[in-house]
Amino acid sequence: MPFHGDLLSRVSLVVLLGLLAVAVLGPWLPLGDPAAVNVGPRLAAPSGEWWTGTDSLGRSVLPRLVEGIRTTFLLAGVAVMGTVALGVALGMLAAYYRGPIAELIIRGADVLFAFPSLLLAILLVAITGPGAPGAVISIVLICSPLMVRVVRAASLSVVGRDFVVAARVGGAGPVRILLVHVLPNVAGTAVVQATYALSVGMLIESGLSFLGLGLQPPNASLGSLVHEGAVYLPIAPWLVLIPGALLALAIMAVNLVGDGLRDALDVRGVEVRR
Amino acid sequence: MTLTGGARYFAGRLATGAATLLAISVLVFSAVHLVPGGYAEVVLGPTSSPEVRAALRAEFGLDRPLPVQYLEWLRHVATGDLGVSMGTGEPVSDQLIRRLPVTAELAGLALSLTVLVGVPLAVLAGLSRGRFGRGLSRLAGSTAMSIPDFVLGSLLVFLFSRFALGLPVGGHVPLAEDPVANLRAMALPALTLSVFGIALVVRTGRDAVAAVFNAPHITTALARGERMAHVIRHHVLRNAAIPVITVLATYVGYLMGGAVIVENLFSLPGLAQAVLNGIRGRDYATVQGLVLVASAAFIMINMLADITYAVVDPRVREGHRR
Repeated sequence: MPFHGDLLSRVSLVVLLGLLAVAVLGPWLPLGDPAAVNVGPRLAAPSGEWWTGTDSLGRSVLPRLVEGIRTTFLLAGVAVMGTVALGVALGMLAAYYRGPIAELIIRGADVLFAFPSLLLAILLVAITGPGAPGAVISIVLICSPLMVRVVRAASLSVVGRDFVVAARVGGAGPVRILLVHVLPNVAGTAVVQATYALSVGMLIESGLSFLGLGLQPPNASLGSLVHEGAVYLPIAPWLVLIPGALLALAIMAVNLVGDGLRDALDVRGVEVRR
Repeated sequence: MTLTGGARYFAGRLATGAATLLAISVLVFSAVHLVPGGYAEVVLGPTSSPEVRAALRAEFGLDRPLPVQYLEWLRHVATGDLGVSMGTGEPVSDQLIRRLPVTAELAGLALSLTVLVGVPLAVLAGLSRGRFGRGLSRLAGSTAMSIPDFVLGSLLVFLFSRFALGLPVGGHVPLAEDPVANLRAMALPALTLSVFGIALVVRTGRDAVAAVFNAPHITTALARGERMAHVIRHHVLRNAAIPVITVLATYVGYLMGGAVIVENLFSLPGLAQAVLNGIRGRDYATVQGLVLVASAAFIMINMLADITYAVVDPRVREGHRR
């Protein structure tokens, strides 16, 4: 299907695809080893030789940025897949079964939703310890309530329709009805909400990493690169500003592609929350 | 029950808020007690002897069944006793009182900036018709929505320190000591937090204002010869207020997380800094107490928003669907 967005959305799609290509192809790009120390002088400013400078250990920043983009998309992407699986399943169930099951799901989502999001993430990291698993679980728990709510709302308008009633009269079980009849009708909504969840996921992961509670060295995400560079901000601002700008660019591209998808698929009722 | 519509609405909101708070207290409590290895091992290290660990657990009452501990904790919380910091021995409520003014001032300033800048911009954007203006405001809005607060904050720190633009980029002066120095130190942190809020208010308010402005009663009022300023103040703002109040309540939730980032970045001795130190130092009593208080405050603010709807819009109060 061609992507009908306005100019801003189309430019964003190109930027996003470019960043994704870098993320996927990263390890095969001839940029050098992101972990190799003392390949150059320490804290060298961006120049013809070192395009994005070097860090305090004499590592070249460029391959570390590529690894950072890769990790940032990977962690948020994995978390969004978890969010979609959990949110779509629970959202459809809460729409199909009225009564205690639906009530439990909705109330549970409300309680999680009533938590300020970064506080919830920090609380979870207290349990899991700093690292990728804690970040992924946090993103899933922060993004799922909204996914449940939005998918449930979309499903409610489907489960009462004639073709679903006809399927039920024809003897189709709940699994078949939800997968064959309801899911295709709420997929667009879920995709748009998932795009916004991706940008929120990238914000949560990078926020945790910035606080030193996310990815731990020597691994790098865009947020942890900012965290590592923060001490050198006055003397080596490129260590903070370049990964920071890339992160803002990536999140903005995802948000604008989300806007374009929302308009293209004519989806209403999706929500953004940070 | 002979409650009127309004009273029933308030009572319902109060009950939901209390239930949510109770569920969150269970969540916070179990989160802290699910820490692998338990508190004693975390504090004393994996090589500590079982006797020493048992003594520590007994001292903090951690050897009793979890439901008993939870009820005990809840009973203390209800009387204002949030426990004692496992790091410094200072009561958590003392930390709360000492640090609250910093965070409250930060949040208050950020919220004021958001409203004072965001609402007029939203009205302007909602009334504007030009395509160019729309595209530009969308680009600016998307940037402000997307830029992470720690990136924006770092950028401000860099710009203001490198080019000596006249505002301090860190540290804190108590308000009572020197109000001017205090405000100058708070300016950049509050600005960092308010950019996202302004974008949120403009994005929501713009659509609400545009929708209301096209309604027939506005055309009627203008046709009657009422002045534009009067129409906007009396007809447009009141009707566009509800969605804006909703996003402002959401924004307060964001502020609580944003405060962690900003207090860290600008070295402000607020509550969020204490939560972060608590996580780093594995001081679970502090984390548990402060996160619970923050969640309670957030729930109350959301309830306040719901009650404000009812004040602004009689239809909500009388039980009609919004």
